[in-house]
Amino acid sequence: MDFFLQLVATGLAVGMLYGFMAAAIVAIIKSSGVFNFAHASIVVLGASVFWTLLVQFGLPMWVCIILLFPFSLLLAIVIERLILRPLTGQPLLSVVMATIALGVVIESAQVMIWPGMYRVYQPPVIPPGSIRLGPVSFGTTEVATFLVCLVCLGIFAWIFMRTRMGLAMRAVAEDHQLARAHAIKVERIFLVAWVVAIFAASVCGVLTASIYGVNANISGIGLYAFPAIIFGGMESIRGAVIGGIALGILANLAGGYLDHYVGGGLKEVMPYIIMLLVLMVKPYGLFGYERIERV
Amino acid sequence: MRPCGTFDVKYNQDMSVVRTRFQWVMLVVFLLALFILLPLFASGHWLAVTNLIAIDIIVILGLNLLTGYCGQISLGQAAFMMVGAYTGAIAASKAGLDFWVCLPLVIVVSILVGLIFGAPSLRLKGFYIAMSTLAAQYIIPWAIIHIPNLSGGVFGCHTPPVKLGSMTFDTEREWFYLIMTFAVILTVIAKNIARSKLGKAFIAVRDSDLAASILGINVFRTKIIAFSICSVYAGLGGCLFAYYIGIAHLEHFSLLNSIWYLGMIIVGGMGSIAGSIFGAAFLRLLIEFTAKITPWLMQAAPGVSEGLASGIAPFTLGLVILLFLIFEPRGLYHRWEIAKSTMRLWPFPY
Repeated sequence: MDFFLQLVATGLAVGMLYGFMAAAIVAIIKSSGVFNFAHASIVVLGASVFWTLLVQFGLPMWVCIILLFPFSLLLAIVIERLILRPLTGQPLLSVVMATIALGVVIESAQVMIWPGMYRVYQPPVIPPGSIRLGPVSFGTTEVATFLVCLVCLGIFAWIFMRTRMGLAMRAVAEDHQLARAHAIKVERIFLVAWVVAIFAASVCGVLTASIYGVNANISGIGLYAFPAIIFGGMESIRGAVIGGIALGILANLAGGYLDHYVGGGLKEVMPYIIMLLVLMVKPYGLFGYERIERV
Repeated sequence: MRPCGTFDVKYNQDMSVVRTRFQWVMLVVFLLALFILLPLFASGHWLAVTNLIAIDIIVILGLNLLTGYCGQISLGQAAFMMVGAYTGAIAASKAGLDFWVCLPLVIVVSILVGLIFGAPSLRLKGFYIAMSTLAAQYIIPWAIIHIPNLSGGVFGCHTPPVKLGSMTFDTEREWFYLIMTFAVILTVIAKNIARSKLGKAFIAVRDSDLAASILGINVFRTKIIAFSICSVYAGLGGCLFAYYIGIAHLEHFSLLNSIWYLGMIIVGGMGSIAGSIFGAAFLRLLIEFTAKITPWLMQAAPGVSEGLASGIAPFTLGLVILLFLIFEPRGLYHRWEIAKSTMRLWPFPY
């Protein structure tokens, strides 16, 4: 039982991270209809930029976090204006492929600018240690990851549900033309969604990198957001968070209990296996819309 | 666009791939140049590049039928290649089968795998299909690593040399003839699939699957057939690749490779067989070009050279794909058509 609780607890922390990343991607899908495959690469880029600010420039941490905002704004403008605006009205594959190619470009640029394998945050973003709670012990990184994601998601939800900007975002998600008719600047909403998503990705990157170190491989963690989105449904932010948590826990449990029988590494592919099953059984996810189409 | 003054009076003429006498002449000249002049004058290195291009052409012909014609995005082409490569390598090294006996086996296994990962397309389209093929890119390597007795795990699986009668294929030139023969035959098959009833059904499903189903096309069956064809092409390409380099190894079939294959059909032109050939040649030569200039760049910028060496090729390729998407989404094939129609009227365009 203790083993089970331990697995669930660590799965919860990782799942929250997946969920947070997935929520950022869903925010972009909902506003501009673009599925951002480059998200995983942006996670790495954000972590690397943060490393430069923190370690190379030696800035205090809160300054670094604030400086992630202009970084997000800049990247969002570049992506939105230079790449996605010209692709408006192009078929789905073009947009999908554009974000994939963008991801490759960002990732290889990251490798070129920050060569070498492994960097750590100095001073550490989250002080190492562990907390005991009954039979279960948590690493401080896990607890901090969970809490930061929770707080960020809370702010995210507040902006989305309680502010004028959030109302505009929801209106744009509903219908571009209607939103435009109500004097909402749809293009600006796209940009806001991208800024928020890139900032969220950077925060995720910093959290992931404080566990695994800054290197190009952490984009693999970012890729787990995709199964989370499919699990929760493409159009639902709540679904994405729930999907992320569920996948984190399920993958951890599968890794803990089944690895012994299949020879290890199940934790890494489990999200994709679950995703394939979900796609076959309930393709629109837990909270997604089932599309009714007309010719 | 067809040449001025050429009129089709029979259905056969309308459907034919090679329409005019001039096209026949050009085709024969091209094939002669390809099979006689190129191996005569090209050095070993360039023959090796040509061989890789030919394998790429085989692989992305399938991808173009699936993605370009049938509209199903596949992010797992390299994984499907991996299946073919390992099937061929395992059948030869463990069961002692001949290369030529392996090929039908590769086709059968590829069809099965295509069925498994195409099955979600029963209820899905668009992003979702991309996702299920992305899953293939993770699940297949994992499965292969976990049967180390057969696949050799992370060390890969060696392949025996290919024999035809008493002849062994071991030089680049001999391989050139083998691979190029495959590429030409498979191109002809792909071209014929594309213009047949099945190919028209693919296009109908791509443009609107709902409308296609109203027209009486069995959408799921069409998609599954597209997946199987794509996976067979990938499997054959992968099998040839494994035998060509002598080993089937996971590292040659990464997600990045799948992305380059998609990039090739975008650069070449989606929904055109000739485009596949242009795209494969263009991107493979670009990879070759970046490999050539990297040492020179590293001398020019010694400070960042370590990362530059590993990052420059994907950076350039990604950028080129992005630029093509933004400025010429119809690909090189479209440019080729423009060039042809310009040439027809030259030098008096009006």
